Amino acid sequence: MDFEPKILGIACNWCTYTGADLAGTTRLQYPQNVRVVRVMCSSRINPSFIFRALQLGADGVLVGGCHPGDCHYNTGNLYARRRLATTKKILEFAGIEPGRFRVEWISASEGNRFAEVVEEFTTQVKNLGPQTKLKIQE
Amino acid sequence: MTDFKKIEENLKKEAKRLLESGEVTVVLAYGKGFDEKHPMPFAAKSVADVDNIVFNEYCNYNMARYLVRYPQGTKIAIAVKAADSRAVIQLIQEEKIKKENLVLLGIPVIGMKNPKTDEVIDSKTTCGMHNPVLYDVLLGEEVHGQKIVSPYDVLAEYEAMDKDARWQFWKDQFDKCIRCYACRKACPMCYCDPCFIDQNKPKWADKAPQSPGNIMYHLTRFHHLAGRCIDCGECSRACPVDIPLYLFHKKVAKECEEMFNQVSGMSIEDKPVLVNFRVEDSDKILE
Amino acid sequence: MLKKTAIEKISQLAAVLMEKGTLLAPVKEVAGHNFAEINDPQKVDLNFYNTIISPKGAFFPPKEDFIKYKIGKTITEAEQIKVDSKPVFLFGVRPCDVKSFSIMDIHFNAAGIIDPYWSQRRKATTIFGYAYDLNQPVDAADFYNSLGIYAADPEGSDIFMVKKDKDLLLKGITPKGEELLAQLNTLVDAGKDDEKYYEETLKKGKEYKTRFLCIDQDVIAKKLEAVFNNNDFWTKVSSACLSCGACTFVCPNCYCFDICDDTIFGKGTRRRVWDACMFTDFTLEASGHNPRTQVYQRLRQKINHKYSYHVKKYGVISCVGCGRCTRSCPVNIDIYSIVEEALKL
Repeated sequence: MDFEPKILGIACNWCTYTGADLAGTTRLQYPQNVRVVRVMCSSRINPSFIFRALQLGADGVLVGGCHPGDCHYNTGNLYARRRLATTKKILEFAGIEPGRFRVEWISASEGNRFAEVVEEFTTQVKNLGPQTKLKIQE
Repeated sequence: MTDFKKIEENLKKEAKRLLESGEVTVVLAYGKGFDEKHPMPFAAKSVADVDNIVFNEYCNYNMARYLVRYPQGTKIAIAVKAADSRAVIQLIQEEKIKKENLVLLGIPVIGMKNPKTDEVIDSKTTCGMHNPVLYDVLLGEEVHGQKIVSPYDVLAEYEAMDKDARWQFWKDQFDKCIRCYACRKACPMCYCDPCFIDQNKPKWADKAPQSPGNIMYHLTRFHHLAGRCIDCGECSRACPVDIPLYLFHKKVAKECEEMFNQVSGMSIEDKPVLVNFRVEDSDKILE
Repeated sequence: MLKKTAIEKISQLAAVLMEKGTLLAPVKEVAGHNFAEINDPQKVDLNFYNTIISPKGAFFPPKEDFIKYKIGKTITEAEQIKVDSKPVFLFGVRPCDVKSFSIMDIHFNAAGIIDPYWSQRRKATTIFGYAYDLNQPVDAADFYNSLGIYAADPEGSDIFMVKKDKDLLLKGITPKGEELLAQLNTLVDAGKDDEKYYEETLKKGKEYKTRFLCIDQDVIAKKLEAVFNNNDFWTKVSSACLSCGACTFVCPNCYCFDICDDTIFGKGTRRRVWDACMFTDFTLEASGHNPRTQVYQRLRQKINHKYSYHVKKYGVISCVGCGRCTRSCPVNIDIYSIVEEALKL
């Protein structure tokens, strides 16, 4: 059986989430592996969310936010960029494949882009195989 | 080599002067422990206490840890070595303390030793600096002419590891953890109350000393100290089971330095990198 | 019956014990030695002063699973976890640590309050006591003499071991120990001079001096009670305390624990984990009130519990003077010095 990864998507309310909506209303086809959680801003994402998601069985985490400069709250994603970049480095040094975590800027009008990113990321995580390092074993 | 006796004398003299004149109410320095090799952090509150102050090669504690214990506005004099002064600067940046309430007694020193192993503490486990970055009074001769070694050299071996081997290395290390939290308590930058790991809602990790919780605790703690860790190495020295936490902290500090072009705890005017941003930050850092 | 074996051949003895049950023995780690379950007999290393973490974990592990449960929509299933009652051999325990087990028995194995997990493990375990090497210097942190324990006390052990140059002498103390000793065929009978050496070591153990506080336990208990409200004193002695849990986690006599449920996706475990009175949230009540918010209050509680309340309630100091807390303390707080200072007040 093919491995179908579980991916957590965390999307900002104003851009990426609306972009995902657009992808849906324009009936774009993209893999169903991503479960999207909506947050008000990408800077709301606590890095522990990412660690915890990986522990609770996610094979990858995709974060979406507004393009830098377009944040609904002016500067939120600029903080998020620094923070999430650090998260990525920490995962990498801990020995977890950095390919399991991705941050992407997708605006409300970029439904196509959303579908593309999901497609790309799903393939990437699929190739990496199941995430067993952090996952809590029962 | 550093003249420890001379520094001790100067420290006593300065502490006495400050306490007598009423310039400060507390002097944070080092005091006698149960034997020579085990001095203790010490808070001198009166002139009589000054006799108890010592300074020798085992006084490696970071006294900045105790600053946040005193109410805002307390006038404090604090003995600072190189890394300690960086911790003070970082705390000032984070507005936990104010410069005007502090008198920094700078101690330039080389050849501090770890009492557990008797090894000299150098750039392998700490920032490897010898002179305090910020001070009001200098208690000894500045150290110059030492070979400059990057504190990040020690990382090369671990960076070269295969990611699976590195994961195994860290997992083995974290599995040793008994969750006594000596690392966070010894850390001058860990002052949150309550710490995220003690929270019940949300509950980030289980309380038992076992793999998932330990990993969650340590990874998140590394993240919380990103761009703030001043590489004093106290966490690793405090650890009763000798987890090399300094390695991970060094790596995160190195990455932050490369990405944001700022070294933690070097200037009062800086802002900690993760509560700051530049519009021109590159998206490359996310790759 | 006195038996002996060469220390070089200790791995053979370990292999025999491993066949009979679980072997817990000191193993060399980066920071020092610690007790661990032995999978490879070569790993047993008797060349240690004392372990970093006390052997209490053999009976009272850092985490102990009680119940595994599943929370369904309508029914909750639960299953109790049984203790494995395979024989356990706790190898190379120093006399002060052996003494600590009998003090811990008050809490887990006394009439009225029997902890099934502790008592089953205690029954299944054979303790191999091991005298301190009298030719090595005493660690400055130790003070077990003050608690009436000496470096070569066989009391409490099932089998007591003494090092003689390159040999290890083993003596059965209890019937359980005698019986086991007779079964261990890798050992050889000891000679006359070995027996003499063994007896002499026990005697010489009394002269192996650690720090010593020559005062009756009731005097200490009363004095600590009298200085309870002396906040200046407690603030002074705790000024360096970081309020971490290192001292309590390495202590052979600290027995505080927390019971917590960990549930993930409807499946969970109820377990007992070590807790420490030095943590801020140890005394946090559901109302939000915390009776011990200050560091000095917590340190005072720790010392008073060991040296005052415990004496009044059970008639014995809950400390064996192994010096672990002092050695492990990141800021070198020494419980002995604090008690000594309190007595001077």
